[in-house]
Amino acid sequence: MAKKILLVEDEDLIIKLLQKKLVSEGYDVTIASDGEEGMKALRQNKPELVLLDIVMPKKGGFEVLEEINQDADLRNIPVIIISNSGQPMELDRAQRLGVKDWLIKTEFDPKEVLEKVIKQIGK
Amino acid sequence: MEKNDKKLNQKDEFGPAFSFSKEELLLELENLNRMMAAKDMQIIQLKEKRGEEIKELQAIKAQLEEAKGILEIKVEAKTKELRNLTESLEKQIKERTKELQEKVEESENSRVALMNMLEDMEELRRRTEQEKEKTLAIITTFSDGLLFFDPLNKLTLINPQAESYFEIDLNASKQLIGEKIGDLRKNPKFEYLADLLGPKMKKIFRKEIPMKQNLTLEVSTVAVGNEQSKVGTLVILHDITREKTVERMKTEFVSIAAHQLRTPMSAIKWTLRMILDGDLGPITSEQKDFLDKSYVSNERMISLINDLLNVTRIEEGRHLYNLILVNLEDLTSNIVSSYTEIAKRKSLALEYVKPEQKLPQVKVDVEKIRLVISNLIENAIKYTPVKGSIAVKVSVEEGRVQVAVKDTGVGILKDQQERIFTKFFRGTNVMRMETEGTGLGLFIAKNIVETHGGKIWFESEEGKGTTFLFNLPTAAV
Repeated sequence: MAKKILLVEDEDLIIKLLQKKLVSEGYDVTIASDGEEGMKALRQNKPELVLLDIVMPKKGGFEVLEEINQDADLRNIPVIIISNSGQPMELDRAQRLGVKDWLIKTEFDPKEVLEKVIKQIGK
Repeated sequence: MEKNDKKLNQKDEFGPAFSFSKEELLLELENLNRMMAAKDMQIIQLKEKRGEEIKELQAIKAQLEEAKGILEIKVEAKTKELRNLTESLEKQIKERTKELQEKVEESENSRVALMNMLEDMEELRRRTEQEKEKTLAIITTFSDGLLFFDPLNKLTLINPQAESYFEIDLNASKQLIGEKIGDLRKNPKFEYLADLLGPKMKKIFRKEIPMKQNLTLEVSTVAVGNEQSKVGTLVILHDITREKTVERMKTEFVSIAAHQLRTPMSAIKWTLRMILDGDLGPITSEQKDFLDKSYVSNERMISLINDLLNVTRIEEGRHLYNLILVNLEDLTSNIVSSYTEIAKRKSLALEYVKPEQKLPQVKVDVEKIRLVISNLIENAIKYTPVKGSIAVKVSVEEGRVQVAVKDTGVGILKDQQERIFTKFFRGTNVMRMETEGTGLGLFIAKNIVETHGGKIWFESEEGKGTTFLFNLPTAAV
């Protein structure tokens, strides 16, 4: 059975690109376009990995991270951040919240995102 | 005896008148003779005595005469002396009188001269007074706050603008006059400034002090007088609140704009990458060619935006440093190897020179230092002509860890060397080679190195090459 990945991201083009890349590698990708939707999908789907954006409408990435952290059921799901920024302060905060990796979108491309995903949960 | 004989003879003559015997007469004669002899004796003695007396008297007379002579000589001499004295006195009096007359004339002249001088002095004093008033008027109405300290660092002047910055009234400011800089510190309003200046009145140039909400001052000190005669120190307080506000607005604008720009940039990057990787179906080689070029352009755009973001963050003081202990050797060699491919494409020899001794650790923000080293290597690659060489050397110099990036590039024009670390500056010779570039790389590098307590500099010769060096203090053990 395909491994489930939840992609929480508000940028439509990014969603489409990543989805294409991940699906082509055989992953089952669920999309949530803001933090609130993301939390809902998390609880319903129990994915094996979360790709999470930081700046999003309704609920930001950090709020999502904090909620995951407080929920014993969700705490062990690995999270990789994909963001447009990456300031040291943000990285520190994310690290304390148990984030596995932080990718700055302009510095990485979908292929590298895929590599990070494989590193976390395998093919 | 003759006389006696005569008497005897006479007696004889008259013998018949006297009736004496011959014996008696003879006896008598003998007595008489004896008496006569005695008398003669007496007479002789008297005569002798008289002679002696006369002699004595004559001696006295001679003495007296001698004395008289001496006296006469003396009197004469004295008289002459007196005459001389009188003459010389007269002469002196004459001279003195003449002298006095001259003096009188002279002092009359002096008096006139003195009067003239006094008039001049008065004029000068008046002018000085005018100048002083003018200077005071300038100081009083000056738009910057001014404080003046004498050579002992006692406050001697505070102008109204400074009073208003410190929110003190005239009375309070009068009480501050004469206070030492150290004592001023007791007044909480002066605490920040006093700490900045220090008890020995440090030399300060454009240091910011936040006074309160909506008031930021920039402090500079100016030493008045020269080494030989110090007049004191002028402390200038310049209101830069407006500049700060504008700067903050500008920074915020750039920051937001850059963030907003990054989002579509990354979308374009990912799209192009996936098309190029064949994820979205096959493309022709011509299409690939164009898309490759678009991808590179996009990458440039991203790096420009990153530079802009970095520079605004630095200016804003938002550059948060995540300091950790590292060995600069590993970091540097990793960065160098990441550029090997790019250097090879340009036929440049990129070499990493290992340190001769073990490096002490440094406490740095790894990402920021990576930015510095990468920037120096990128510059070297960009501005070194094909087949040149670049050497990156890590070493310990004077207790500091030093990184040197040496190239055989175009060098920095002599008249532009001073501006090389300033924001948005690009050398005219390198602009011809590479049109892209913000002129921010070295500015950012300098800020990062200096925030770490390090120093960055370069040695360059036009057409021969440049070595950029920076050092960092080693971590305290």
